[in-house]
This record gives sequence, structure tokens and C-alpha cells, in this order.
Amino acid sequence: MQGFLDNLIRGWGHDPATWPWTQFVYLFFMGLFSFLVINFAAISGGIFSWAERRVAARMQSRVGPNRVGPAGFLQWIADAVKLLFKEDLIPDEADKVLFRAAPYFMMVGFACVFVALPFSHRLIIADMNVGIFYILAVTALIVVGIIMSGWSSNSKWSLFGAIRSAAQIVSYEIPAGMALMIPVLLAGTMSTQGIIRAQGAWPWQWFVFDNPAATAAFFIFFTSALAEGNRTPFDLPEAESELVSGYNTEYSGMRFSYFFLVEWGNLWVMSALAVTMFMGGWQVPFLPAARLDALAGWPAFFAEVASLAVFALKTLFFVFVVMWLRWTLPRIRVDQMMNMCWKYLVPASFVAVLFVAGWMLVVRAAPLLATAMHLVLAGAAGAAVVLFVLRVARNLRDTGDKFDFTSNW
Amino acid sequence: MAETLIPPTQTPGAFGAYVKNVRDTAKSFWEGMSVTLSYMFRKPITSQYPDRVPVPVQHTIPARYRGFLEVDMDICTACQACERACPISVINIDILKGDGKTTPKLRMERFDIDIGKCMYCGLCVEPCPTGAIQHTREFEGAAMHFNNLTLRFVPDPLVPVVPYKPPKGAESFPRKPLGEITRKLIKAWDAPPPPFPSMEEQAKADHGKPKAAGGLDVSAMGRQLAARALQVKEDKPKLQKVLEEAMAGTDCGDCGYPDCFGYSDAIAQGKETSTEKCAPGGADSKAMLETILVTLKSGVIPGAPPPAPAASPGAESPAPAAAPAAPQGPPLAQTLSKDELFKVVLDAMAGTDCGDCEYPDCEGYSKGIVYEGQADLGRCAPGGEDTRVKLYEIMLGTKPPPK
Repeated sequence: MQGFLDNLIRGWGHDPATWPWTQFVYLFFMGLFSFLVINFAAISGGIFSWAERRVAARMQSRVGPNRVGPAGFLQWIADAVKLLFKEDLIPDEADKVLFRAAPYFMMVGFACVFVALPFSHRLIIADMNVGIFYILAVTALIVVGIIMSGWSSNSKWSLFGAIRSAAQIVSYEIPAGMALMIPVLLAGTMSTQGIIRAQGAWPWQWFVFDNPAATAAFFIFFTSALAEGNRTPFDLPEAESELVSGYNTEYSGMRFSYFFLVEWGNLWVMSALAVTMFMGGWQVPFLPAARLDALAGWPAFFAEVASLAVFALKTLFFVFVVMWLRWTLPRIRVDQMMNMCWKYLVPASFVAVLFVAGWMLVVRAAPLLATAMHLVLAGAAGAAVVLFVLRVARNLRDTGDKFDFTSNW
Repeated sequence: MAETLIPPTQTPGAFGAYVKNVRDTAKSFWEGMSVTLSYMFRKPITSQYPDRVPVPVQHTIPARYRGFLEVDMDICTACQACERACPISVINIDILKGDGKTTPKLRMERFDIDIGKCMYCGLCVEPCPTGAIQHTREFEGAAMHFNNLTLRFVPDPLVPVVPYKPPKGAESFPRKPLGEITRKLIKAWDAPPPPFPSMEEQAKADHGKPKAAGGLDVSAMGRQLAARALQVKEDKPKLQKVLEEAMAGTDCGDCGYPDCFGYSDAIAQGKETSTEKCAPGGADSKAMLETILVTLKSGVIPGAPPPAPAASPGAESPAPAAAPAAPQGPPLAQTLSKDELFKVVLDAMAGTDCGDCEYPDCEGYSKGIVYEGQADLGRCAPGGEDTRVKLYEIMLGTKPPPK
């Protein structure tokens, strides 16, 4: 974004290096962008809360919220307004300062991720050379917020939730970090835009189909991201049936809504990260990144919109997958959660990193092997998708039901 | 997910179990997610009652569903069998009696069913001789005010409804389609509730017009009742009725008696002297009851503009007051022929052919009394006390014994 601002200042006839107001322009645009990004996070989080309820309802043969606005779309606004007007209760026995501060830690940790998260070919707040490292670092602030809220609430449910969450996030940070190392190895950069540029628009050009270890790494990363986002089947920190609501039990009103904002906003973060690292990001078919850079004027604008659309569609698909998983899998036990991490994901992620390192040496010697592997893996994935669709169709047919997505909305 | 049960038949090694767990995980994802996705593409089974259903729910519930009651006044015989059958007095029928010649013998001024209290037992439907009262399939009882929940099947008490006279031997009756009448009536349930005055407004309204606010002049009504009470001073059941009129008639039981009858009967019998026990009636009832009791004691209506000539001779002497009630001469049963007597007896009955007397109809009961020596003269339920008194006068020439 700094390049964009420098260009803007040059357009006004000043040299950004010597013009005395440069820093003020930076400051103004920093404020503007953070406002835009936080609002994007809040609004998408709200919309996801409605979408999740509709998806959950249909998967359970219900209808879901469908009365506020068209198809119930404005339900999230009604909920947000309700939460805004509720009393902000602080328990007598709570540590009041920490209790008040905890939601802001969550929000800060969550909003900071968007700084390095790309939206399209040019749309990114800051394309840092340590992008992935930065993202992994700031998400740790969320844990601080969770532990703070659990401890300061002075309630056993909150504390249990916070302790579970701490154990969970600390554990799953390792496989997540190791799995993210693989795209970094393959691309040779930690910049999120750089990783996307190293991939292509077509599935066989994505990192996820680069080699079997990368495919495994994608699943390891996605599983770990679910755990870090406290999503089912890893929603132990807020297990409703065990802990009332977990670390946010004692919260109400606006502060409570921050927690849920972060939870649903995290859907976008984890999906966008998966798309960036493994799924080719914003790459538009027939428009390689180099040609995108060269475009100017209206074609550049439309190409930008196309890349934004590609990225958003991929991300929304993964958001849907996360919801879909939530209404498919039951919550696992704490010991199962730990087993899964330390006995399966951690060793597998280490093996995958080593395998990719070796594979890169092999590919350097025989480049044709890489292309063959890309095509085989992408073909296998395509076959798996077809088989899955057939399986879904069979499930529908075998129960005597028929495909009907539009009635009883 | 991790430690799945291993069947005892196959005991894979540690590595085999490890691989098996991974395979099971993948497989359960495959199966589970295909099932949930297939459900997403099915029609939800929720019926979106009340506004997004293909047919109104009223049409889909079984025909014998016990919904709101409905009375077709066109085939109602005014037998009041339903009112008597109702275990919780939800049905209220007011009968206007005529002489049977210039005016019809029975007319219904009121036929109210308080749906708010109805318990849908269906006991009122069973005795109805014509099937006028029925359960509909209407059930949506949300109303703006609980007063709205009373279904009034006689819309205007000033236009009383003449009962239906079923043709002899008829087995079916021309009933309107079930539900039509009630559906029309329950539309009024959406009417706004009556205004709810605040204490100040109420006090201001009361201040301007003392007591006559509701069109009820308490002192005039008290004098009127007192005059009637004076006439029936010795006839305890009649006196009880007069006294009951001074009460609110809600049968609330606040007075310590089960209902208004109990309280008024106790006063009539002289067992009760307190006049202030009627809580719903309040000061009005108390004033009226006091007026009546003072009148009974003194024989003079207090505050009456001219001393009424009818009341003056009855000062402290009960004999003249009771005298006009006794009929003169032998009873009609001994003077008339049986056929003429049958006609007189039949005339005395309510004529609703309700069958409560255990005869098929009024003619049957009359024949029983005249030709077959039926001694029980108190069986005509719709006619009530009036018919009983008439029958005793006709058959025995005496006043009936108190019930």
C-alpha cells in the first residue's frame, strides 16, 4: 500500500521522500484502511453468523432465520442491535480491568491479521516480507484475550474454557506453523503476495497439488486452523454442553459480541489463509501475475475486480466448508484432541516438511517429474470431487428424496 | 477420532492401528460430509405456520377436533341442555318468557359462550337435540382483550331470537356449514382492547356524575328491588331471587358462600345479616341490599317519593302479602277433562322437546302427568321454576315445596 500512496503523492506533484506532509498522508490512510478493514471483518462476521444459521438449519431439515429482510439476510443486524442495547454486566467478583480489556485483546489480535492478508492482486494493506510470520505472531494475541477473559471472569466455566483454549492453541500452533512452512519452502518467500505469485490460476498450479506432502500439509493446516479458531470439532473452549459458553460465559452486550465477532470473522481469516497458501489465492485464469502488473486503466480495474472475485469465491467456499464440518462432526474429547495433535499432526507435519525439502531437490534434477505430479494429484482431486458428488446424489436418491434447494425458504 | 475401538478379531500392530485410525478419519469425513451435504439439498420439513402454509391448518386437522364452540341459532330450540351440561358454567343463556299467545313462549336474549374459560370437554355437544352446538376446528385464540373471547351468538339482546321448533320425528336439521358462524365471530377478537383508564382518569370520570355513570341508578334500583321484595316477603325462594339481583352475579365466592345463590339464600333465610360481603358488587350491592333489608323490616320503602299504596297495608303483617299468591278454588285437574287438562299441562311446559324429563318430548311428559299418573312435576328443566309452579297449581292446586 505504501507504493500506492507514494504514487498518489507523486500524482499531486510532490516527491514523497522530501514532501513534509508525507507522514500525515500515511497516517490518514492508515486510519482509513484500518477503519475499512475492521468494518469488513465485522460485517463479514455478521453475515457469516446468518449464513451459518441458514446452512445449519438446512442440514438439519429446518428453515433457519428467514424473516428479517430477504431470506432473513438482515438477521445479523437485528442481533447486533440487540447486543448493542443490552446491559454490559461485569460480575462483582471479576477482575474488572482485565475483564474489560480482554475483548479488545481479541479484537486487536484478530484485526491485525488483516494487515498482511491479501484481498486481490493489489489490494493488501501491507505486503510484508515476513507476512506469514507476522500472521502467526499476531494470532497469538487472541489466546491472550481468551486467557484474560477466562481468568478475570472468576467463574469456573470461564476458567476451564480458557485453560482448554490455551492448551489447544499452543499445541496446534506447531502443526499449523510447520504446515505453513511448506508453501514458504516452495515459494521461497514469506510474503503472502509472493506466495500467491509463485502459484498459478489452474488447480494443477496450486501448492496443494505440488506433491503428496503438500496435500497432507493443507489438511494439517486446515485442521489446525479449525482448532485455533475454536471451531467444531475442536470447540472445547466454548463447549455449550459442558462449560455453559466457555471463556465468554460471564460476558454480555457489546463485549460478548466482540467474542462472537472474532469467532465468525476468524472463518474468513482461516479460509483466506488456506486459499493464499495452498489454493492459488487471487490468480485469475489466462492472466498471469506478470500480465496483471502490466495492465493499466480500465482493463487493470476489471482485472483487479476479477482477481478480487476469484479470491473471495475461493475463500467463501472454505468458509462454507468450515460451517459444513461444524454440522457434520461431533465435538471430540480433550484427550482425543491432544492425541490428534501430538501423535498425528505434529509428526506428520515434520515428515511433510522433510519430504518437501527432499522433493525440491529431486524436482531440480528432473523438472518433468514436478509437472507429472501436479497433473496426477490435481486429476486425483478432480476424481475425488466427482465421486463425492455422485455419493451425495446417491444419498439423496437412496432415501427417496429429491434435489430441492429452492422451496420452503 | 484417534483411539477408535479395534475389533478383537483383528489385532493390527501399532503401526497398523495408526494407519487404520488415519484411514477411519478420512472415511468418516467422506461419509459424514456426504450425508450432511445431501440434507442441505433437500426440502426442509418445517411447516412455516401460520403464514406460509399451503392450506390453513384448520383444514388439515381431524374432523372431530374439539375447537371453539359454535351455535347455529337457526336450529337452537332454547332447551338450555348445553348450559346445564357445562360443568364450569361457560355457557350463559338468558331466556325471555312470553305467554305463548301474543309473544312466543321462549325467546333467547343472550347466548354467550366464554371461550376463555371453555375446557373443550364436549359435554355440551352431546345433549343438544338438534346439533346446533358443535365444536369447530378453529383454535387460534389470540385476542386483544380477554373480554373479546366471549362468543355472543345472539348479537343484540334487544332482538331476542325465537327458538327453532323441530318438525315431529325429524332426524336431521338444516345446519349451516360448521365453522362459518364462529369464524365470523372471532374476527372481532382483533378489535382493540377497551381503554384502560388510569387511576386519575377514573377518579375524574367518577367525580362528574355520581354513580349513574354506567346507566345504573343504584338508589332507584334499590327501591325497585325493595318493592318487589316486599311483595314476596314470605316466599323465601322468590325473595332469594330478588336479593340475588342486587348482587354482582359473578359467583366469585368471595362472600364465603359458593356462589351468589348461596349468599342471597342465606340472607333470605335470615341466617346472614351482613350486606357488605359482595366484593364485585361493592358499594352498589351493599346499598341495594341494605335498602331491601330495611324495607323488609319496616315495611316501608325508604326514600320513596310518595308512600306506595301497595306497600302501606303490609306493615308488619305478613298475611295480606302472602294471600294473593294462593290460588282460589279446586285445582284445574279436578275440573277439566283429561284431554283439556293435557293441553293446559303441555302449555305450561317450555316446549323445547329437550328430553331432560326422560320422556322423548314435551307431549310425552304431559301425557305421563295427565294419563299415567306421573307424580314428579319438577322435571321440565328449560321451563324451570315457573313451569314447576304452574304444574303444581294445575295438578294439585298448591304451591310447590321448596327444592
